[in-house]
Amino acid sequence: MTIRLGRRQFLMGTSALLAAGAAGINPAWAQSALRLIFWGGQARADRTYAVTDMYEAAGNPPIEGEFLSWNDYWPKLATQTAGGTAPDIIQMDYRFIVEYASRNAIAPLDEFMGSELNLGEFDQDQLEGGKVDGKLYGISLGANSVAMLVNATAFEEIGEAVPDNSWTYADIERLGEAFKAAGNGMAAMSDGSGSEPMLDNWLRQRGKALYTAEGQLGFTAEDAIEWFTMWNGFRDKGYIVSAEDQALDNGAPEASMVAMKKAALMPSNSNQLVIHQTVNDDTLTITSYPRIEAGVGGGHYRKPSMFFSVGGSSADKAAAAAFINYFVTDLEAGKALGVERGIPCNAAVREAITPTLDEQSQIALNFVANLGDLLGPLPPSPPNAAGEIDTSLLRVLSQEVAFGGRSAEDAGQYFVDEATAILNRAAS
Amino acid sequence: MTVNAAEAAPRDAASGTSKWSRAWQNHAPGYLFLLPWLIGFLGLTVGPIISSFYLSFTDFDLLTPPDWVGLANYERMFTNDRSFAASMRVTFTFVLFSVPLKLAFALAVAILLNRGMKGLPLYRALFYLPSLLGASVAIAILWRQIFAGDGLVNQFLSIFGIQGPSWISNPNYSLWTLIVLSVWQFGSPMIIFLAGLRQIPQDMYEAASLDGAGKWRQFWKITLPLLTPVVFFNAIIQTINSFQSFTPAFIISNGTGAPINSTLFYALYLYNEAFSFFRMGYASALAWFLLFLIACFTAFSFLTSKYWVHYDD
Repeated sequence: MTIRLGRRQFLMGTSALLAAGAAGINPAWAQSALRLIFWGGQARADRTYAVTDMYEAAGNPPIEGEFLSWNDYWPKLATQTAGGTAPDIIQMDYRFIVEYASRNAIAPLDEFMGSELNLGEFDQDQLEGGKVDGKLYGISLGANSVAMLVNATAFEEIGEAVPDNSWTYADIERLGEAFKAAGNGMAAMSDGSGSEPMLDNWLRQRGKALYTAEGQLGFTAEDAIEWFTMWNGFRDKGYIVSAEDQALDNGAPEASMVAMKKAALMPSNSNQLVIHQTVNDDTLTITSYPRIEAGVGGGHYRKPSMFFSVGGSSADKAAAAAFINYFVTDLEAGKALGVERGIPCNAAVREAITPTLDEQSQIALNFVANLGDLLGPLPPSPPNAAGEIDTSLLRVLSQEVAFGGRSAEDAGQYFVDEATAILNRAAS
Repeated sequence: MTVNAAEAAPRDAASGTSKWSRAWQNHAPGYLFLLPWLIGFLGLTVGPIISSFYLSFTDFDLLTPPDWVGLANYERMFTNDRSFAASMRVTFTFVLFSVPLKLAFALAVAILLNRGMKGLPLYRALFYLPSLLGASVAIAILWRQIFAGDGLVNQFLSIFGIQGPSWISNPNYSLWTLIVLSVWQFGSPMIIFLAGLRQIPQDMYEAASLDGAGKWRQFWKITLPLLTPVVFFNAIIQTINSFQSFTPAFIISNGTGAPINSTLFYALYLYNEAFSFFRMGYASALAWFLLFLIACFTAFSFLTSKYWVHYDD
């Protein structure tokens, strides 16, 4: 947890606030300063604070920023919301926006459209992604897509071409044989059976979905059984990494199967190419997730990577909306932010920043801009219990199958039964 | 008589209050100096403990006000929660093996160090070092490296032609790496054992050796019985600590309890319920059950202690 305020400032500020609160007065400056909270690392904070400094220098209200890691962020935000002290501007995720909107913890922004919010050049699908029940609750800060991370150097070494966006699941077998033949201890791919985005992508290509708009499961036990069976086949033939190796991946970039040189391909996201390249000495690139068959698309979508929302208890919602507008439409702000939060959704910003980007960011931008027939509709935002189904069910089951503790048939049926029970319990 | 009694009563009361107020005057400065700690204790410890007891009977997700559900949280724990059962299994295995192993190891090292060797303070400090580092993030990460498939342990085993598994990521062994990590942090019980050994009078050993008792017999008949109060103390402290163990599993599995929930410690499961899935009510119930468990274990230890703990009096 990192707070940008110095300790002395913080102490003075809080004691002044306490004194003011005790006296029952609100100092004038407390209304003009806006509080901003977001999750991310130091790199994101540096870019964000560059923009808030520019904003303040242009004669606007100061923005007091605070950032935390993803894991610390949600407990803190929920606690502040419960205590009625939520910040004015809140970074929001697609997974939580419905929950926060339905409890009025974030405010609808429609009344500011055309005045504070000037989003004429904003991508329409990204604007739609921030809506809950027809009302706009979040402004997308960038678009992302799932993407397959590729160790390009490893492909070059064994004399295979890096797969392009037309590659299929059948190619995993072909590449698996090629990497086995090379015998350098690297499998073609990591084990994707426990990857929620990969399962989602595979289901969407089959015309199904992980979750329906009503928050129910969008697939059957037969689908799940086929999924686990397919990965068992890859694992048995050595096309993907072993269960023991895959279990070493705890989500940190340096513990990934590509970083540990166990696999040449692994499921990831377009915006994560930059961070993965920083911990790999081989050259990395990205390509699409495999198609279930040649010519079948619709699995990918351009996901709003994150939003800025306005706190439901904010004293000056219009000022908060004005800052968000500056953040997503100002060209200089766009250059400071780059594609760190995803590909900007404002066409003019996108154009202005392209020449300033480094190589990985250009790859990511081109990938998201050129998905073509891979692109399908934006799925409805997932139900509340989706996170629990991912971490405590899908990932655990995929490991149980991989280590041989459960058959694919058993795991597929169990997955659907238990996920349905979790969804019902969360809804009641 | 009645008049007298009536008169006497107020005077008694008056003298009572003056005694109280005099006592208060004597102690007031003390309480004043205590105040900063007292406010912290009441506000930051007692307050949250009481509210968590209340919350354990509610459904609370932080965003909406808590909803009274009676005993439903406790009921779910025992009837309808697979992960709870898994975390109990993991935690009991951990406590059952890590505590005796750690104490045995600490005692062995303490006896070794008690033989009056040169440079004792240096060795003592060196053996204590892991305990200072033990709960840290850096050591948990180091552990990952040592017990990974191509880690230090397997490189050592490969000298003898043994191909070891990836200890840390294999569900059959992952918990054992954490038990070894816990045993390795034997420093604080060792220091306490060492102090206890110093208390044993040397003339007892002299008398025993005159009677022809060997070292082994001396250990069982003199050292261990006289050390039982220290063993008792260490056992209770270590058991409580082990039940609450959190950091190593959290860092090594990145909070998931992976692989296959094999390192899903109770405290880790509780944390996930509270801060990953925002079920504060259920997490509070889990916390109170853990308190109950630890209290039972401690009470059991105290009740049986009169049969095996020998106080020197």
